[in-house]
Order: sequence, then structure tokens, then C-alpha cells
Amino acid sequence: MSGEFDVQIIERDDRQARFVVRGLTPALANGFRRAMIADVPTFAIDSVRFTENSSVMFDEMIGLRLGLVPLTTPLDEFEIGDTVTVALDVEGPATAYSGDIESSDELVQPADENIPIVELKEGHSLEFEADAVLDTGKEHAKQQGGVAVGFRHLQSVTVGDDIGEFDEQEPEILRGAIETDEGEVVLTKEFDHDLTNKYPGTELTVEDVPGAYVFHVETDGSFDVAELVLRAAESLGDRADELHDAVTA
Amino acid sequence: MMIPVRCFTCGTVIGEHYEEFEARASEGDEDPAEVLDDLGITRHCCRRMMVSHTDLVDVVAPYQ
Repeated sequence: MSGEFDVQIIERDDRQARFVVRGLTPALANGFRRAMIADVPTFAIDSVRFTENSSVMFDEMIGLRLGLVPLTTPLDEFEIGDTVTVALDVEGPATAYSGDIESSDELVQPADENIPIVELKEGHSLEFEADAVLDTGKEHAKQQGGVAVGFRHLQSVTVGDDIGEFDEQEPEILRGAIETDEGEVVLTKEFDHDLTNKYPGTELTVEDVPGAYVFHVETDGSFDVAELVLRAAESLGDRADELHDAVTA
Repeated sequence: MMIPVRCFTCGTVIGEHYEEFEARASEGDEDPAEVLDDLGITRHCCRRMMVSHTDLVDVVAPYQ
């Protein structure tokens, strides 16, 4: 296997990206996917000390919801196991939002501010202090940085002869990104996922491109996609080195 | 009771969009499908979280 990978970014913004990697085996592609899900640590609220909770939900239910709120995680500043204390104090009638959570560290803040925690009626109040812990998705699903991370084979289209004038053309539905006849990678949403919209009236052959995979990566907001992908690649490399050292020592 | 913070299936944070969805689609007169597209909730797993949810806080609050 060659040591060179060819990476081509198709679309990218802060929280989601789609890119093609060439020169991968299916095993390595899946290893990479799993590293993005389980090996990149994020902060998540882990233990909560309630001072007052007179809302309609039990302490445990609120604890579960708090754990799922994504917190921004600057990975250069923290190590696995580090904790940050956060607190919330809201009195009804009002809705307690994730944005009301106050953090003791300005680097670790709720990534989304509008998540409703619980709706408080007249006379209800919610007050607690909680510890956010940095850990990996292996430990608990709430610590996963990547959500909906997946990959599929890159497919290439070969345009053949024109079909008969009165022949019915079957729809050819594809998802993600494809390689056109000219070797260009395009998103399938550009032609509403149906290849016959792009090449009407022609015979089409769709084949998998060997060793090329289209990854679709989303993060929960803890960090941007680039950080997630680079950290996952780094963790794969670290583990390969560890194995190499263990075998050769 | 309250809208779940994340989609049960894929884990995307959907809770933050619920109030806007309610205001525009349920109380407003916009097409729910278009509102969901606009909010960036494109997968059907996330969409069913929004479409099928009922807030029960008002129902249980009197019995606290």
C-alpha cells in the first residue's frame, strides 16, 4: 500500500464537511471513521449537584439533558480527565436555556445557546452546579465530537450512447458526491440526486472507484470539522506507532 | 415533556431549533418541510424528532 493519500475537499463549513480520500483501503477508511467518533475527546457535563429543582422534571432527567449539551472544547488547552465547573440559576416563569449556563472557564462554553433545558412555571426554580469532564466517545456517547460521520465509495459515471427516442429512462438515484465523465467530483444535490437530470437521454454506467471514499463529517459544535478530522488522523497515527514500538521493542 | 436535546438516531443537536420551528410552522403558516430545510434539519431522523414532538410541561405543571 502506498503511503500517500490524496484528499480533495468538496464542501466545507464550520460544522460539516464532505471530502474525497483516495488511496485508502476499506479497513483504514472505517478505522478513520471510528477514530472520529470515539477517539476525539470533548467536554460534557458529567455530574450535577442540585441546590434547588422545583421544575416539572426530575433531577435525573435534567442531568441527562445537560450531558447532551455540546460545550466548546479547545483541545490544545486541556487533557483527558480535566474538569470545568459550570452553574445555572434560573427562576420561573422562564425557560432555562443552555445559554444561561455559566462556566468558570471562558474557553469552555455551551456551543449552542438556544437549547431549552426545562420550562419553568410561576414559583418554579432551578439552581445547580455541575462538573464538565473531558473524555472520549469510547467512555460515553455524550463525549462524541463527531455526529453522523460516514463514508461511501466514490462512484464514477461513464456516459454511453444515446437511448432510443421513445425509450423510457429509468431514474438513477445517487447520494453524496460522484465523479463525472470528465473526472470532476460534483455533489449529487446539484442535480436533485437523480443522474438522469444531469445526463438526460443517454445510457449511463455507474461504477465504484477503487480505493476512493467520500467522507461526510459533522461535529456537534465542540470544535470545527478540521480539528475533528486532524485529531482523528493523529490518534490513528499514534496507535499505529504504539503498535510498531510494542512489536519492535 | 421537553424537546429532546439531540436526535435519538444520529446525535445532531435539534433542541435549539424547536422553538423557531413551532413559531413558524405550527403557530405560523409556513410549510413545515420548508422551515425544517431552512433550519438545516435535512435528515429524516432529525425531522421526525421535531414533527412528532408534543410539549407536555403545561399538562403536568398543575400537578407539581
